[in-house]
Amino acid sequence: MTSLTDRYVDATLRRLPAGQRHDIERELRSSIADAVDDRVTAGEDPASAETAVLTGLGDPARLAASYASRPLYLIGPKVYTDYIKVLKALLASVVPIVAAVVAVVHIFDGADFGDIVGATIGAAINTALQIAFWLTLIFAIVERTDTRLSPTKTWTPADLPAPPSRRARYGELIAESVFTVAFAALILLSPSFGLKKDGSGSPIQVLDPWLWDSGVVYVFLAFVLAGLGFSFARHYAKWNWPREIAGMLVRIVPSAILIWVAVNDHVINPAFIASVGWPEEATQWIAPGLVAGGAIGIISTITDTIRHARNR
Amino acid sequence: MDEELLSTHLQELRRGTVVLACLLILEQANYGYALLEVLEQHGFSVDANTLYPLLRRLEKQGLLISDWNTDESRPRKFYRTSPDGIELAQTLTVDWDSLHTAFRSLKGQQS
Repeated sequence: MTSLTDRYVDATLRRLPAGQRHDIERELRSSIADAVDDRVTAGEDPASAETAVLTGLGDPARLAASYASRPLYLIGPKVYTDYIKVLKALLASVVPIVAAVVAVVHIFDGADFGDIVGATIGAAINTALQIAFWLTLIFAIVERTDTRLSPTKTWTPADLPAPPSRRARYGELIAESVFTVAFAALILLSPSFGLKKDGSGSPIQVLDPWLWDSGVVYVFLAFVLAGLGFSFARHYAKWNWPREIAGMLVRIVPSAILIWVAVNDHVINPAFIASVGWPEEATQWIAPGLVAGGAIGIISTITDTIRHARNR
Repeated sequence: MDEELLSTHLQELRRGTVVLACLLILEQANYGYALLEVLEQHGFSVDANTLYPLLRRLEKQGLLISDWNTDESRPRKFYRTSPDGIELAQTLTVDWDSLHTAFRSLKGQQS
């Protein structure tokens, strides 16, 4: 055997499991030799006959692939849809939670804004990569184990996501209106709540008076009510991307204001904290919670918009 | 017509037929390269890089039995259709005949 055939056979065998190699090698070599002999008998010179035969057999990688009883893909059609479903579900849920927790912890430690953002993004990326890697590995193993692993259950039309009925969406709208108006009313009326009274008998505000003095509370509520207006527009008018993006941004503003106000320690009235008897550092504990709340608000606004986009 | 599209469909059409052809031909034992020639003579065009792995797969499925023949200077692996293989060949032939009838009726309806 000349070295060209040797190299070809080696290239093929290299990709095959050790147990099969010996038998395939014998068979392959004799088949190649037979083919070459035929061409030589027909008048070709041995070298070009050998080249022609090996060319006809083609890429050793592909030949080995045909020989191998192992699948030539990481995750096959059988479990692929399940894999994608689980991957999407995990990424959509775990990554935001981890990001929020990391953000909160860093705020807790008193890091500056740049550090918080950097750490949060880093954690989010890292978590996403870890999920993707381990899930892919698990499903690659599942693909290779000869379990009678049927997909979780056979699909029937009952599994189709229900289109939100008009009544359900109307109900949602009503609920949102009630909640929004009640929330706004609560905030505006909070200065007069007499949970704690000062020396002259007038109530101590729960929320920081600075919010009223600077007008931030009015800006906050204006955007909240504007968001409600966008919800009505979405319900009664045809889907319109510019309007929906604007609506999403308008809804994000209140959450952003909450975060900003919490970081700057302007949410709870210090006088109220003193009157209740909490230590001054209480604000440092409350702020991270509010920031996390704001972050979750932003994330849920975005996912809500996406959900409505899909269901339109 | 796009060459690759044509060859894909031709491959799909022929894939099953080559299996049946091998099972029928190998009722008399033969080895890889010779089998290739016999198939060519009968009008079945198969590539070597398709046939050799196919023979191994059929053996693994119990449809062929193999023997190494060391009579000549070059040892050769001879394949022979197993009883299971013969039975399968009969079933496939019946199916093939009914397909043939089905196509004829199709053409009959179209003419």
